[in-house]
Amino acid sequence: MKIFLGWFYPQFMSTYGDRGNIIALSYWAKVLGIELRVVEISLKDPKEKILKMDILFMGGAQDIQQEIVNQDLRNNKGEFLKKAIEDGVVGLFVCGAYQFLGHYYKTADGKKIPGLSIFDLYTENAGDKFPRLIGDIGIKTKINFEEIVVGFENHGGRTYLSDKSLAFGKVVFGFGNNGIDKTEGIFYKNTIGTYLHGPILPKNPKITRFLLEKAIERKYKKRIRMKKFDEEWEKKAKDHVIKRYI
Amino acid sequence: MVFYLSIILGKLIVFFSQIFKIGAGSTWPGHLALIFDKNFLKKIFKKNPHLQTVVVTGTNGKTTTVALLKYLLEKKGWQVFTNQEGANLLNGIASSLIKNTNLFGKIKKQVAIFEVDEFNFPLIIDEFLPQMVVVLNLFRDQLDRYGEVNTIASRWLSALKRLSQTTKVFLNGDDPNLYYLGKNIHSLVFYFGLEKENMPHKTVSFDVDFNYCPVCFNLLSYKKVVYSHLGSFFCQKCGFSPKDVFTLSLKNITFPLLGIYNQYNLTAVLLLLIKGFNFDLKELISLLKDFLPVFGRQEKIVYEDRVFYLFLSKNPVGFNQSLETAFSFVKDKKNIFWIILNNRIPDGLDVSWIWDVEFKKIFVVDKKVFVSGDRAFDMAIRLKYEPTELKKNIIPIINLKKTLKKILKETKKNEKILVFPNYSAMLEVRKILIGKKFL
Repeated sequence: MKIFLGWFYPQFMSTYGDRGNIIALSYWAKVLGIELRVVEISLKDPKEKILKMDILFMGGAQDIQQEIVNQDLRNNKGEFLKKAIEDGVVGLFVCGAYQFLGHYYKTADGKKIPGLSIFDLYTENAGDKFPRLIGDIGIKTKINFEEIVVGFENHGGRTYLSDKSLAFGKVVFGFGNNGIDKTEGIFYKNTIGTYLHGPILPKNPKITRFLLEKAIERKYKKRIRMKKFDEEWEKKAKDHVIKRYI
Repeated sequence: MVFYLSIILGKLIVFFSQIFKIGAGSTWPGHLALIFDKNFLKKIFKKNPHLQTVVVTGTNGKTTTVALLKYLLEKKGWQVFTNQEGANLLNGIASSLIKNTNLFGKIKKQVAIFEVDEFNFPLIIDEFLPQMVVVLNLFRDQLDRYGEVNTIASRWLSALKRLSQTTKVFLNGDDPNLYYLGKNIHSLVFYFGLEKENMPHKTVSFDVDFNYCPVCFNLLSYKKVVYSHLGSFFCQKCGFSPKDVFTLSLKNITFPLLGIYNQYNLTAVLLLLIKGFNFDLKELISLLKDFLPVFGRQEKIVYEDRVFYLFLSKNPVGFNQSLETAFSFVKDKKNIFWIILNNRIPDGLDVSWIWDVEFKKIFVVDKKVFVSGDRAFDMAIRLKYEPTELKKNIIPIINLKKTLKKILKETKKNEKILVFPNYSAMLEVRKILIGKKFL
């Protein structure tokens, strides 16, 4: 079994250690017996590359990098990205990347930057008077409601879903989409949009395996079955954060 | 009157904290003085026009740079004082001034060197204008506390613009963003850098945050790279590239500190002493060989007949550099590693950055890697996910003392242990190995 992981703009969208998600996917792919090929999708690459991918990933960055990338998405690659996500390609989009896929991002000085309108949501930066939402976060997700998924969030924008039932998770501790309605991220078709850094996948191997299994299911129409996984350290790392809040 | 009372009170606190060995002496005197008299700093500088002030800022290398400046100035017979490491807010600076003044506000020493962190640098410039400023580099560090590098850079730019036209500003010319800052300020700017032949890499690594041109936002190109975004950069689109960068031929220099990052610190110091104090380069170079590393930075500590080397590693660029330096230094590559990761207030709470450090090399030999600290298991996963067959060698134990016991069991006399702690972890492990409280 071989799947392709498309990593959007690694040179630009990598401010918050989100590369750990690629490392985690590669590790668990090996454990599950999947050949995972990581393919970089950068500014100069043709947009057709996107359609060959089984998993798509993009991380977060600073405003300037996001602006550089946003132009390429809007004028060039966005249409194929939208097609892929609508077709059910597995995806993970973190922080800035998550915001891109909504209708728009309103900056602190009131400028509206249009997004790709793949996700039915919008994001607004409330300005300097409202502090960034920073800290540990724990959520219960649609993928596995029993277990708390843990990460670290650091965002100035507040995101609002048009339909709260689309949320990726419910906030147990931390801020989530906007610090008010207890929603976190979005789960649309097979794609996750989330604010969770940490990075999200290493400490939450069930999410990692879910993405890989979904990709295999979609491509090969079969399910992977394995009984036991060694995730003792992942659990300890996660529990260390959880026990500070619960 | 309030000014003099502040000095007396401050001095009393210094006195008592020394007698009772409480660690408040480095910030409290200044803290109180600033409460009593908002203009305390302005007044004390006005009373001492002879005092030369140097501010050193940047993400990595500040402490070593300050120590080297002080060392060389003292070798040349100047009297120098500094703020204590970690006390780099206004109160720490005020405290160091109180310690060095007499009751009438007069300071005998001739040079004050202040280490100021990247976040606080603009706040310090609001309070007083130094005669000289060194900006070493800007990398991401503690994003949850300091913010993103671009935010820092734009705050720096407006701070540097407030400096007077006669202020001498020393900037890293191999750093595209700092070079750009230098082109937009009114002071006397000098750039330091490394010679192209001493730049070891051809491509930028993954810990980089400034890979685009600060003028036209095109992706930057590099002829050679030193590490992270430092190197001989140029923009293919608009032609942005550095000129007039001071470099040193390092062939004939005996400098006791390892690591290419220390070549930057050294070059910055020498340039400052030449341009700011009219010292002779040859003479300065002859004085370097006896300089000792500052604590926690390549520091050697012998404990129970084992030799521990401490490499402070508190952000992705710093960690990658520590590893690179450690590997150049241990030729036999058979040493035990001990990585310690905390996430306390001085470290930043977010540990996501460890995923941008390259750990592959650690597994080139079949030796144990101990992992401790509050976030030991985050680090353990980071190492576990490296593609290697040597996962059995990773031993996570949160508690430092328990880890140390294990290490002693695993090692023989005279064996070397390479320790990579982040900031609070460094203070903690040092306290255990030396057996006394520091700071």
